[in-house]
Amino acid sequence: MTKLAQWLCGLALLGSAWAALALAPPGLQPPAPLRQALLPLPVYLLVAFGCYSLATVGYRLATFNDCEEAAAEL
Amino acid sequence: QATATDQLVGFGLVAFSLVLFVYYTVWIIVLPFMDSDHGIHQFFLPREYAVIIPVAAGLLLLLFIGVFIMSVMWKSRKHTKKSD
Repeated sequence: MTKLAQWLCGLALLGSAWAALALAPPGLQPPAPLRQALLPLPVYLLVAFGCYSLATVGYRLATFNDCEEAAAEL
Repeated sequence: QATATDQLVGFGLVAFSLVLFVYYTVWIIVLPFMDSDHGIHQFFLPREYAVIIPVAAGLLLLLFIGVFIMSVMWKSRKHTKKSD
């Protein structure tokens, strides 16, 4: 199985778990505060991933050592 | 050693994304478990904005990326026509 297929399967699994909890009929719904935190979860994970990538870019930018010799060559 | 401006911008990005992450996490995950008369709620907008703002920002980002690509392609096309 390719990596893409693995990622898609994982996403499908998490997505269906989230949908099952979010779209449950009123009798089977999780308690109110949990449900309130659960519904925006996909957007939250996207924002969290965006924050992580921004932080990684920033950190690598800050810790990348200048190569003065290479700059002189250019 | 990275240049001073690089370090400043880099660590600034790290700090900014950390603040954003903490604020958003508290907004989405912590607030539903706090009583509605707790003082912390005054620091956060109504919950609908927790979804509307990231979606709108994402669309804006896509718009800027598309416009940037268009402008770069436009300029490169003009240069090849001039060389002919």
